[in-house]
Amino acid sequence: MRPGLYVHVPFCSAICPYCDFAVRVGDAADGAGFVDSLLVELNGLATGDALSDLPAVATAVSRLVAGEFGRFDTIYLGGGTPSVLAERDLRRLLEALRERLPVDDDVKFFFEANPEDVTAQSLRLWNDLGVSMLSLGIQSFDSDQLRFLGRRHHADEARRAVQMALEAGFDTVSIDLIYGLPGQTEDAWRRELETAAHLDPQHLSCYELEIHPRTVFGKRSARGELRELSEDDQADLFLLTHRHLAEHGFEGYEVSNFARSPEHRSAHNAKYWHHVPYLGLGPSAHSYAPTGEGGVRWWNERHTRRWARSLGEGRAAVDDHEALSFGDLAFEALMLGLRTVDGVDCRRLERDFGVDILTGHAKQIEIWRVQGLVTRTDHRIRPTVAGMALADRLVTDLQLEHEITTEIDRA
Amino acid sequence: MDNVRNFCIIAHIDHGKSTLADRLIQTCGGVSDREFRDQILDSMDLERERGITIKSNTITLPFTSKKDGRTYRLNLIDTPGHVDFSHEVRRSLMSCEGALLLVDASQGVEAQTVANLYLALEFDLELLPVINKIDLPSADVDRAREEIDSDLGLDPFEAVEVSAKTGLGVEDLLEALVEKLPPPEGDPGAQLQALIFDAQYDVYRGVVMLVRVKDGTLKKGQDIFLMHTKKTYQVEEVGLLKLEREASECLEAGNVGYVIAGVKSVRDITIGDTVTDAKNRSAEALPGYRPARPVVFASLYPIASDEYEDLTAALEKLSLNDAALTYEKDSSAALGFGFRCGFLGLLHLEVVQQRLEREFGLALLLSAPTVSYRVKLKTGEELVVDNPVFFPDPSEIEATYEPYIKAQIWIPERYVGTIMELCRDRRADDIQLRYLTQSRVEVNSILPLGEVLFDFYDKLKSYTQGYGSFDYEMFEYRETRIVKVDILVNGEPVDALSQLTHEDRARQRALHYCERLEETIPRQQFKIAIQGAIGGKIIARTTINAYRKDVTAKCYGGDITRKRKLLEKQREGKKKMKVVGSVEIPQEAFVAVLKSEAGK
Repeated sequence: MRPGLYVHVPFCSAICPYCDFAVRVGDAADGAGFVDSLLVELNGLATGDALSDLPAVATAVSRLVAGEFGRFDTIYLGGGTPSVLAERDLRRLLEALRERLPVDDDVKFFFEANPEDVTAQSLRLWNDLGVSMLSLGIQSFDSDQLRFLGRRHHADEARRAVQMALEAGFDTVSIDLIYGLPGQTEDAWRRELETAAHLDPQHLSCYELEIHPRTVFGKRSARGELRELSEDDQADLFLLTHRHLAEHGFEGYEVSNFARSPEHRSAHNAKYWHHVPYLGLGPSAHSYAPTGEGGVRWWNERHTRRWARSLGEGRAAVDDHEALSFGDLAFEALMLGLRTVDGVDCRRLERDFGVDILTGHAKQIEIWRVQGLVTRTDHRIRPTVAGMALADRLVTDLQLEHEITTEIDRA
Repeated sequence: MDNVRNFCIIAHIDHGKSTLADRLIQTCGGVSDREFRDQILDSMDLERERGITIKSNTITLPFTSKKDGRTYRLNLIDTPGHVDFSHEVRRSLMSCEGALLLVDASQGVEAQTVANLYLALEFDLELLPVINKIDLPSADVDRAREEIDSDLGLDPFEAVEVSAKTGLGVEDLLEALVEKLPPPEGDPGAQLQALIFDAQYDVYRGVVMLVRVKDGTLKKGQDIFLMHTKKTYQVEEVGLLKLEREASECLEAGNVGYVIAGVKSVRDITIGDTVTDAKNRSAEALPGYRPARPVVFASLYPIASDEYEDLTAALEKLSLNDAALTYEKDSSAALGFGFRCGFLGLLHLEVVQQRLEREFGLALLLSAPTVSYRVKLKTGEELVVDNPVFFPDPSEIEATYEPYIKAQIWIPERYVGTIMELCRDRRADDIQLRYLTQSRVEVNSILPLGEVLFDFYDKLKSYTQGYGSFDYEMFEYRETRIVKVDILVNGEPVDALSQLTHEDRARQRALHYCERLEETIPRQQFKIAIQGAIGGKIIARTTINAYRKDVTAKCYGGDITRKRKLLEKQREGKKKMKVVGSVEIPQEAFVAVLKSEAGK
């Protein structure tokens, strides 16, 4: 796979009470200044005039920009709400990306939008810009749930937005949904899934609600006003989601992602899961590139104002980085692989990172198999749906230290 | 010798003993203002915090009487104020000729005041009653005087009125003290006999013995013989115990002071022993030697197994100045290496645990404390069992016996019902009420010591909003029905959680443990059965289902680092878990189970 490009647009018209991403309240007017800063960041990277002080990061950026890992074949505009950007700003941003970076002619363009921003006009624009996968932040088709989640659209609006997007002829339209809300029953969630399936999008993302401490929900939960579902209820809803969508012909190819067919899977997200190089622009955006010792991951300032200030002062907006050893990469590969239906390619793991889990953990893997958590074919371990529900647990069940140190000693 | 007075202060808890000691020290100028801290004799932080004296201290104070113009040497021998340390009280009393008997002007004579009176009379001490806290609005001096007459049988007109807090009346008290309390007797030229009534440990000098010279003279360079331990040492230094040690050439009969003689550990000596001259040995030892016996037992484990060495070193150090603490190596399959320790009582246990945690920075786990049971086997053999590990199989047991205490509980009248219920719940025999005043009641009861080990004091305090107080003394062994309750995790016993308990309590305690474990052991790959059992009989059970869901919904775009770090942390946590019968038990589970009852 070839490198991916991510641009973070932090603005939303209001902050959802469950969201813990780098977001701030803002609209199209804020977007203009923001895109100015993005272009400064892009220019600094492309010319090499404003590279990070961190040598590993500077080297990795230079290599990405020089196309040493290949040309970028995906661009993902996420947020926040990229659909708040005005047409003019969107156009000059994309134009600049194509101009300053080695972007492939057949680049796939991923775009996140809120249903309230979906109009005949905006759809025409996004089509014109070449969006191939449009993700709609629907979250729910139930007005009460939407209110609880602090969303700004109604159930009717949600349905109409999906229908219009589907008619507009994008390669892939995806619906984002949230489930596992306090008190949500299996029946209520099944109805939502029915609605989504009948609209017949090519892709669905169903995220189980997580309560993060620094969000409004987190605070309400700490005060005891909001109660997360029990582990058993969460598990029931998770399994229901995968089973029900499978019956409607959606393959759960990842913990929270479902596709009509393999070509509708998110080709951009797959890069995160497989250590394919990616470059991130905008506040809080992460980037990754391989190095001789493993890899390096770095990330931008999380706060928009601080990010913009660094750029304004002619510096890179990088907050920090992390050098990843082969052991770290192996752990991540397992952690991410066990979240996906394709599982972990153990032969690749050994070849790329020097970690042989088939020998070292034969017994543990066999226990998982007997318990119905994984299937094993030759050199590949794939989680079952029940296994996916436990992906975090599975990876912590493996103690990799030993193999990794042995490998390092040998090297 | 006529100018010497050896005395102590005896009082009911909270009647202001430490405050009075402070004031005496300050009034005599034994301490400069700069050196003065409240309750200077209670030197350990823990003592100051809890307002009790654990380890007794002694100080020599100069006092010049305005009445006769003579300068006296007053030896104030401090006594610990808690029943766990009553052996230390006795030793201290043996070193005195007189005692100040403190009565709280607002509370009057309390039961413990009477008990202390008898104790003092046992040692033939001259008593000077002191009415304290006369500055309080609620002070009733006349009533206190009446009670000194009627309840204590002492001359109420001798009683000195003071406020230790403000210093009011303290000068008069000192004058009365030198006038009423007798000087020591003894012959400096006679054969040496000195009583070791306490010992301190000095990092540089080793053991510092505190002695009362009854007869003869203790000199620097002299060879001395300790009559009980039968060891000979050479005196390196003798002197007086001012705020700091003040060396002198000798200590004559009648005096109280210290001796340093190259003793390495307090274990090498016994408190209550008699010091005599190695060449001119006294034929008889002084009375009063009584070894301290531990009555409460528990195992201590370091939470981090690599702290075992530190714990070993800490216990060694601690035992240098705590001769009552016993310990021996212990090991548990679940918790690794630790120590089985014996304590004088619950407070002693708590003090040791807290000192280890605070002064040595150790994180500790304490197994359920137990008392020493006696077990009669069918073979006729009798065993003493203070560790569940050694409790015989039920089929071999003919009878079991457990120690009972005589408990005295003082509470405001309105809590009588609640506290009687608490006592009955703790298998009390023979509860008796005595109205001290219309509003204050003394509850006397015979209770199994084992029932007091768990949160009895906490319950008492919380039921009485802090107004209740409690003291006890060991009484006797009575026949009982003690069983050993094992906790099984997937069929495997967790040795650190085994406990000895009364049969009627077994199910409740077992269930309590099972429920705490159910709450604290995370779900795992398999269903886990947690059971409480007596022998082969299951008496309680809870179940932990296998885990079903443990995955975050989102991977945060490219921020894989965050997720990896989170999982790495979880994985580290798992490494610290103890594995029992293939079940991973986090330390927190042991902490939650054991802390929920132990110690307090």
